[in-house]
Amino acid sequence: MNKSLLILFTVIALVGGLNAEEWTQSKTWFGDPDLQGTWTNASLTNLERPDYYDTLIVSEEEARTTLRMSEEFSESVDNPYEEGESPQAGDNVGGYNVAWMDPGTDLFKLDGEYRSSILTYPEDGKLPRRYIRWGLEAYGMYRMFAVADHPEERSLGERCLVGFGSSGGPPMLNVLYNNNYQIVQSPGYVMILVEMNHDARIIRLESNHNPDNMKPWLGDSVGAWEGNTLVVRTKNHHPQQKFRAGIRHQILVMEGAEIIERFTRTEENEILYQFEVDDDKAYKDTWRGEMPLRAADGEIYEYACHEGNYAMANILAGARAEERK
Amino acid sequence: MKNTLKIIAISFTLLLGASTYINAHHAFTAEFDPNAPINITGKVIKVEWINPHAWVHVEVKEAGKTTVWMVEGGTPNTLIRNGINKKTITPGTVIVVRGYQSKGKLCLPRCIANGRDVTFPDGSKVFMGSSGTGAPRDGSDPRERR
Repeated sequence: MNKSLLILFTVIALVGGLNAEEWTQSKTWFGDPDLQGTWTNASLTNLERPDYYDTLIVSEEEARTTLRMSEEFSESVDNPYEEGESPQAGDNVGGYNVAWMDPGTDLFKLDGEYRSSILTYPEDGKLPRRYIRWGLEAYGMYRMFAVADHPEERSLGERCLVGFGSSGGPPMLNVLYNNNYQIVQSPGYVMILVEMNHDARIIRLESNHNPDNMKPWLGDSVGAWEGNTLVVRTKNHHPQQKFRAGIRHQILVMEGAEIIERFTRTEENEILYQFEVDDDKAYKDTWRGEMPLRAADGEIYEYACHEGNYAMANILAGARAEERK
Repeated sequence: MKNTLKIIAISFTLLLGASTYINAHHAFTAEFDPNAPINITGKVIKVEWINPHAWVHVEVKEAGKTTVWMVEGGTPNTLIRNGINKKTITPGTVIVVRGYQSKGKLCLPRCIANGRDVTFPDGSKVFMGSSGTGAPRDGSDPRERR
């Protein structure tokens, strides 16, 4: 073999070697796969598939259409008045500027393909609701938003107890903003700090569930490693946490629901998050979903919710003002 | 009976979904009065960077009378992650707030309103938007994710 060919083969071998080099899962100092960091599930992909999509996987063009629709809607919310125009009496009071929101900037991708829903099963991308149960639970939810005699009657989010919708989970789903999670591991435990509203899920590894009469706000979670995948099983959901409603999703999780989550770090900046919900009181079938948790920029700003919760006082004052009319 | 419950469940879900887009942390309609629209221009005197909502305090002078309004905004987390901090809007800045006053109107110690639309007097936004919220995706925003 002449010298030139030898150099060529060497270069090819080196380049091939570099390409073949794959990301490997790092370990914590105590030997568990390392999931630690700050992660986000912000995305325009919702739990359920919108009616304008027929399939789970959508094209680049369809993904762009979703983005454009989101931007147009945001613009209409962000600046509803012309210059010099004033709000009209009797209109919806609205909320605050879109600049304060962070729902995500695109449909998420898995395996390089855009997804139209987090749900992967049922295949139609819709929750298999038992409508009788949902109808029976609706009044309790209505009261949370309609009655303001005491703080305890208001929704858990307004009371700064848990986040909105199923932000804290399980399953942990994306909401309008603050879609961030910090994972910290120690021997025997995995802690997930949920930014909205500053909840901490503490997952005990290789542990039994607590007695059934103990029902934490985010359920009782135990976990185990299956290879590099953290498998978390949660049951004993808090009865006041059963109806989780936000703009992005509305789910019902009964106390006896059993939820399995799987966390697999697939690359340095991404965790594949999968879940399965088995709740035959509220659903006709099991439902499953998956989404990426992507590395977030920066840290989580302290969510000292109770300390700054002027809104609760204003809501109660508003109810008293209504009564005086 | 079954159909009635189904209709109730669907109606409730749709109502909730429609109303919660802008509700976010709480039910805005429980806090603010749809029959009390405001359109005020004033000078920022204080910004509270707190969760679950930031609050912008605005001093409004009209007909020789000075009124201080507390305007409710969203979470500081989102803005800080976007590189917007306490230096972005500072005391002395003049802003225009269009929205609705709170149902409780005692104005003690300050009047309260939601900042449905908050701009500078020239019409530009107080807080810059971001991709996915109306701004173009030009790659300059690090939040433009894959």
